[in-house]
Amino acid sequence: MIGKRLRFETRHATEFVDISDRLRAEVRQAGMRMGRLHLQSLHTTLGLAVNENEPLLLRDFEGLLNRLAPANAGYEHDDFARRFDIAADEPINGHAHCRQLLLTGFATLLVEDGELVLGRWQSVFAVELDGPRHRELAIQLDGQFSLPLQGGAQSDLVALELSRQLLVDPEPVSAPMRRLVEAGGKRLRPKLVQLAAGIGPRSEPLRAAALAAAVELLHNATLIHDDYVDESTHRRGRPTVAAAEGPERAIAVGDYYFAKATRLIAEIGNREVTSTIAEALEAICASQIDDVAFRGTYPGDHDSYLQVVRGKTAALFAAACASGALLSEASPEIVEALRRYGDLVGIAFQMADDLVDFSPSSGKPVGLDIRQRVLSLPLIYAAEDRTVGPEVRRLLAGALGDAEVGRVAELVTSSDALQRVRDEAQKLVDAAVHELETVELDGLRPTLISLAHSAVDRIS
Amino acid sequence: MSVQLIDRELDRLESLWEDGLSEMYRTYLEAVGSHEPASQPKLALAAALVEIGVRLQGLGGRAAAPPTLLMGDLCLARSSRLLADAASQSVQVAFAQAIERMSAAAASGADAPPARELLLDALKAS
Repeated sequence: MIGKRLRFETRHATEFVDISDRLRAEVRQAGMRMGRLHLQSLHTTLGLAVNENEPLLLRDFEGLLNRLAPANAGYEHDDFARRFDIAADEPINGHAHCRQLLLTGFATLLVEDGELVLGRWQSVFAVELDGPRHRELAIQLDGQFSLPLQGGAQSDLVALELSRQLLVDPEPVSAPMRRLVEAGGKRLRPKLVQLAAGIGPRSEPLRAAALAAAVELLHNATLIHDDYVDESTHRRGRPTVAAAEGPERAIAVGDYYFAKATRLIAEIGNREVTSTIAEALEAICASQIDDVAFRGTYPGDHDSYLQVVRGKTAALFAAACASGALLSEASPEIVEALRRYGDLVGIAFQMADDLVDFSPSSGKPVGLDIRQRVLSLPLIYAAEDRTVGPEVRRLLAGALGDAEVGRVAELVTSSDALQRVRDEAQKLVDAAVHELETVELDGLRPTLISLAHSAVDRIS
Repeated sequence: MSVQLIDRELDRLESLWEDGLSEMYRTYLEAVGSHEPASQPKLALAAALVEIGVRLQGLGGRAAAPPTLLMGDLCLARSSRLLADAASQSVQVAFAQAIERMSAAAASGADAPPARELLLDALKAS
């Protein structure tokens, strides 16, 4: 049970304050899965109502209250000569008290699957009857709550597990990996593992954190090899392992953490989890080979792009979701729904990442993907564009110096390629969210929806 | 291992079969007699893929060119998936430890036992 106060200011004598979103936020913040939200007005001239938020209808309600209890009808409550202990600032508000009698001072709202249960047209109102004033509602959330650990504590567990693992490794491999891990990153994959691991009946935060950390190590191991292959000099604002310590060291560090991560996953002792991650790793490596091969026909086409991105990025997103769910012994329907969700979010994430290459405010040099001839959807769309396409294709076919890279970026930005990619990424996120609607997720749906949106929030 | 099974497991790596992988496979096949008959071919192929994979990558030597490195990466990943399919937990762990040992040595410039020796030991894990 959680008790809280909802405070707000009103601005008019009569006012319908829609508090639905604030109540939804309280439910989300509390991680409530199933139960009841009790709401109580702490004032005698503040009512509660559940109705439609349509401005003309609200004026109708106000008119109704005026007709039923007009302000100038003469209320005995306002005859101060007949009352005792009257405060100096006692308002003339008999009408407001009478109006409150027509409403209610308390309400109970149901919460199911982490969401406030409201009909399509229903909103929850605090109804001010004697404003403007400072108002307060008491709230109690009573029911089942989703995560024994809230988001912050979950990421702390992963950070702790990563530190613990790096602490016992030989310095020549741990030092470069520590630099990469400490440089940050969104850590979406471990978050997905942990969230999915909270869905089934066997929810064990420590095992989930061990798996999440292993998935993050695996991801970083692939990045270390990628950076050598792509000749990248920087990642997350720091020199890559290959650039700082040479390709030989990069290969060894990547191999070490590939092996260590697979060992940590094997030690968890769930064969389905091990297979899920191993299959994803295979898909990643196969798609890296395709990625390099497709550079011969740069910038490629939409089909080849999807083929590469499904392996390169989406495979581990999907595996993170599926393996977490498997670890918690969720039903096969949930595992598969989450796998599809992860796949779609992963592709959308990569599209958002492609767009960053054309954003001067991203903090990364514009046109890096162009320079490195990395498969990129905005470039594919720009190359198909009737107006800018011929020049984009001609430039990409030749040597790419600063002037050419700048010109290609300019052409891409001037076309509708970026908007097309934005729209496509958003559609994928919508499709991912739709996947969540088909299964019972025990209150975690709002967090997964929010995480799907955060995967593309760099592009808005 | 049936021809079909080999074909499937060598997808994208076919060229390696005639380039030393088949010999390695046969060597490891002789060392997996104590395992379940059905899992023996996959275990032998997994070991052979690790051996050829680290060789392709140039682990402990001169770094491979990017396309060759990626081929080596795929060998390790395929091996990992074969182990997930067919190996006991202890064999999976022992394989990973063998690669950890080779790569840690490579990173520090130290000598490590030959890959084959480590992998044959890993196959004995119980």
